Amino acid sequence: MSVITRFLTPKATAHAHCDLPCGVYDPEQARIEAESCYRIILKINGSEDATLRTRAIAIKERQADLVKHHLDTLWHDYFKPEHLEAVPNLHQLFWDATKQVSKVKASTSLEDAQKLLDLIDQVDAAWKATGGPAKTRIGGRPG
Amino acid sequence: MKTGPLRVRRGVSGPSRPDALLARLRGPWRVAVAEASMTPSINAGDWLLVDPTAARWPRRGSVVVFREPGSGVLAVKRVAGRPGDWVPFAGSYLQLADDEAWLLSDATDDDVAALGFGGVVDSRRYGPVPVTALVGRVWFRYAPLARLGKMPGRPRR
Repeated sequence: MSVITRFLTPKATAHAHCDLPCGVYDPEQARIEAESCYRIILKINGSEDATLRTRAIAIKERQADLVKHHLDTLWHDYFKPEHLEAVPNLHQLFWDATKQVSKVKASTSLEDAQKLLDLIDQVDAAWKATGGPAKTRIGGRPG
Repeated sequence: MKTGPLRVRRGVSGPSRPDALLARLRGPWRVAVAEASMTPSINAGDWLLVDPTAARWPRRGSVVVFREPGSGVLAVKRVAGRPGDWVPFAGSYLQLADDEAWLLSDATDDDVAALGFGGVVDSRRYGPVPVTALVGRVWFRYAPLARLGKMPGRPRR
């Protein structure tokens, strides 16, 4: 590079910020974190060790936050208004599922965690009904 | 609130503390643009001249470089509302405090979608921006040469 172009090249970059979605979405991501909440609740209920229980509760809250994050991403970024035709109860479903995450975050009941898994399975069905596997995964969902 | 000229010149009633002025003189005086939310006025890859001595929010319609709230990333947007202005927000209106501006993108979500991006990120996402985040006013584009010139005003739609 010549001295002149080197002098002219700006050293700072200013971002005309917009989102750059990767376009990869899969409810499985939320389900795995929700399953980990389920397993952690099993551990909490099966142990008398105060240290283990305290750690497990902290980990469960962190995993529950991840479930919420993955569900939000699907809701905001993957699903579009035209998907409401195929899934008319979409908003209610996400409302129920994310509320259920908050419940799991605070509770140690296995029943709450199972209910969350069932709701995520409904989200998964909605994702499949709108062509998610072909549209968002590379070569479809593996397995 | 003190009223006065919208644009403040250095040395007249600019930054009162000398050290603050010195910090501003360090720049940046030039920036390269990344991402697409200012199209069609400014495109990714444009090189811009910045006046880092601007110590108050410049007039509405000016393009500014600032630190984005939250991330602190250097960003470029257009001033849509100045301190004290009412701006439309969430189906209602919001009054800006006496140090805040409302900064918006020129591009619509459709414009950026055509270039392969998601939604635009501006005050509608992160809210009003305090004047302490202002880095400078953009006044000139010096590359690419084909579009050399002063910053254009807000595009008409």
